[in-house]
Amino acid sequence: MGFLNAVRSFIVVFNFFCMAFTLILNIIYIIQLFVSLVRVHKHYDKNFSDDFHSYVDSENLLPISLIIPAYNEEENIVQNVRSLMKMNYPHFEIIVVNDGSTDKTGELLVKAFHMHKIETSIRYQIPTEKIEGVYFSKEYPNLLYVHKKNGGKSDALNAGINISRYPLFTCLDADSRLEKDALLRLSLEFLKDSRTVVAGGLVRIANGSRIVDGELKGFSMPKKLIERFQIVEYYRSFLMGRVFWSSTNSLLIVSGAFGLFRKQTVIDVGGYKRNTIGEDMEIVVRIHRYMHKNHKKYRVKFNEFSICWTQGPMSMKDIRSQRRRWQIGLMDTLISHAGMTLNPRYGFVGLLSVPYNWIFELFGAAVEVIGYFLIPFTLIMGELNMFFFIIYFLLSVALGIILSEGSLVIEQYTHRGAMNAKQSIAVSVYALLENFGYRQMITVFRMEGIIKYRKLRKSWGKIKRKEFEQ
Amino acid sequence: MKIELISVIGLLLCLLIIGILYILHYRLAELQDEHIARIDNIRQRLNIHVEGVLFAPTESSRQLEIQALAAEINGDFEVYELAIQAIEQYKGSEHHADPEKMRRLIAQVNEQVNPVEIYAKMLDSNDVYHRGYGCRRLAELGATEYREQIAELVDDKHRDLAYNAAMALCQMGDTERVAAYLISIQNDRLYSGRLVNEFFAKFTGSRQELAEKVFETCNPYMRCTVIKTLGEYKIDAFRDMYMQGAAGDDFQLKIACVKALAAFGYPEDEQILQMAAQDKDWVIRSSAIRGLSRLHTSTALATVKRGLSDKEWWVRQTAAQVITNMDISAKDLEEILGGYDRFAADAMKAVLYRTVDTEG
Repeated sequence: MGFLNAVRSFIVVFNFFCMAFTLILNIIYIIQLFVSLVRVHKHYDKNFSDDFHSYVDSENLLPISLIIPAYNEEENIVQNVRSLMKMNYPHFEIIVVNDGSTDKTGELLVKAFHMHKIETSIRYQIPTEKIEGVYFSKEYPNLLYVHKKNGGKSDALNAGINISRYPLFTCLDADSRLEKDALLRLSLEFLKDSRTVVAGGLVRIANGSRIVDGELKGFSMPKKLIERFQIVEYYRSFLMGRVFWSSTNSLLIVSGAFGLFRKQTVIDVGGYKRNTIGEDMEIVVRIHRYMHKNHKKYRVKFNEFSICWTQGPMSMKDIRSQRRRWQIGLMDTLISHAGMTLNPRYGFVGLLSVPYNWIFELFGAAVEVIGYFLIPFTLIMGELNMFFFIIYFLLSVALGIILSEGSLVIEQYTHRGAMNAKQSIAVSVYALLENFGYRQMITVFRMEGIIKYRKLRKSWGKIKRKEFEQ
Repeated sequence: MKIELISVIGLLLCLLIIGILYILHYRLAELQDEHIARIDNIRQRLNIHVEGVLFAPTESSRQLEIQALAAEINGDFEVYELAIQAIEQYKGSEHHADPEKMRRLIAQVNEQVNPVEIYAKMLDSNDVYHRGYGCRRLAELGATEYREQIAELVDDKHRDLAYNAAMALCQMGDTERVAAYLISIQNDRLYSGRLVNEFFAKFTGSRQELAEKVFETCNPYMRCTVIKTLGEYKIDAFRDMYMQGAAGDDFQLKIACVKALAAFGYPEDEQILQMAAQDKDWVIRSSAIRGLSRLHTSTALATVKRGLSDKEWWVRQTAAQVITNMDISAKDLEEILGGYDRFAADAMKAVLYRTVDTEG
């Protein structure tokens, strides 16, 4: 009897913990939303007088190496390189690093761009797997194709860094597309503030959009529900979270699909970490750590006007695999840099950003999932007031809608013209609907990532994606 | 009961916020559609007028079309900019290949529209960004009559506005005020480096005078930054200063001066560049090698060749890049490519692959 009472008390206490946790998390999100609204408004105004196009011929613009790690990307690679060649940027080189693909990625590139093998000097500043060949074409002098032994995405990126010539580099996914002015806008973060070491751009879901040569030519709502929900999700994640964290110089992640880095800083920290699937987050956290440790002034920035389009997963299986990977990547990074947690030596990053990620982004999923099961159970047991349960449920849904709708307002404010009013309102319906099933499902996938951390932490999942419409 | 009441109030508040957000979203979306429709409409009308202006059979009919275009613009800077964009689209086309003719046409439109007045109104706006934008556009239009008004904005607390106003003065060639602005930001090293570069590039007056003015009161950091920037403009009047700096002990000044001297390519600088090529700092060595490559002497070539096996990668890379511009003999080339120095050979090959047709 005493044991049962103890279990009962534990369940009741845990229920209150879950509720308090959810409310605190949502309040933090609302603060983020508010700060983001103010910042985006300020940036939008500032952009007006900046006249960024006038920088196109500026001597100050730093040349950029665009590194595309490719593993079995035969479907997209040629199209992607062609699209990148039309970028509105004065000096850039494209380096495609074929990480030992088993398909025709390399052959297609060599054939499409009339490339031939050359001998070249490589400055091995970061150890990588063996580079088996470098290909070049006189017709496309700013394109290099590197063929290397398989070593994973990080290894491919490190090889690209070694062979690159320019002081800034950006890592791009082979299945993403950059908007024409994206590089110019992002590089201005380095030009205007020489302390900038990393800058991330806004990644948007391309499903349903028609993108031709880096320009959005039309939007139609994607067919599948999960694609529609991802549109809302990406707006929320980028326009709310990243804008907020970058405003405190404690942004821990710059999307692997589009981030611009100061090459020397990445070399100084030893390049991308191998054998991790969260290399995009890990490198940024390591940069924070290194800069703080060495008392260097630096900035990690986010530019919401610099846009990269990516194809979101289209099936439940793929989205599950993607979210598990993201969660494992987060966990791996936090464990690797656990020493930064609540460590005042790392300033705002150590005191706020890292603990936030531990508590809300990592364990938040676990608390939420346990809550999903425990709260209805407690309700059945008669330990929870029905009225209170309904109010709590409605409150958490309402807060979720505020966040999603708030992000859509920011999106509508900053990127006028992407969707027409009808489409924009239609998307906001999904901001409401996603709270009934989709968000819970994603949380379960994240939880699964935590459980399968040890098993899956070194495996890469391949996601089936549609080709971009041209 | 108390918690429940608070929860209900919280829920009602959330519903209110959701309602506001949905209305805001809907209104923004509506405004966006209205804006797009308005711009499309304006573009269509502008295109008709612009075609009328460009393809008018007689000068009098052109004047009439320009008047119609001015009426369409009606003092709106956005419409004016769309009109100029529409005209410029025809640049280089079959009937409008002559850029001078195009420029005259835009001048005729400007005469009717008076864009200076449109942008001048912006200087009185409450929005700092509008004021900044107005400054830049006025400078582009050469509206020197607003110089004093713009100059007042250089002292504004808002950094972006001050920058835009100073840049406008720069485009107007105002030596005194631009120099004063550069001096005012000289202690902010993260900011001033970029601005020196930008301002000297856009300055329409005498760069020499601007530099002299800055040198009068600047700190050593600003001096070095200006010298580095001036290198590419090859101002002979500063050569003595560069030579002294290149031979001196001030490390930062030495880097700047060697870089500036290297840009000239004068044979009389060879000795000083040869000495710099032996410097312990690789930045100086690299600049010196770049400078030596501009001299077509056998001693300079020998030093650049030695640079191919420098201990620092960047120096080797610079040497490999610049040696291809020198009068290098087939024997020399063969010696480097087949030599024992693997890096020198590889670096040369990499540069040759990029510059010479090596296929087949």
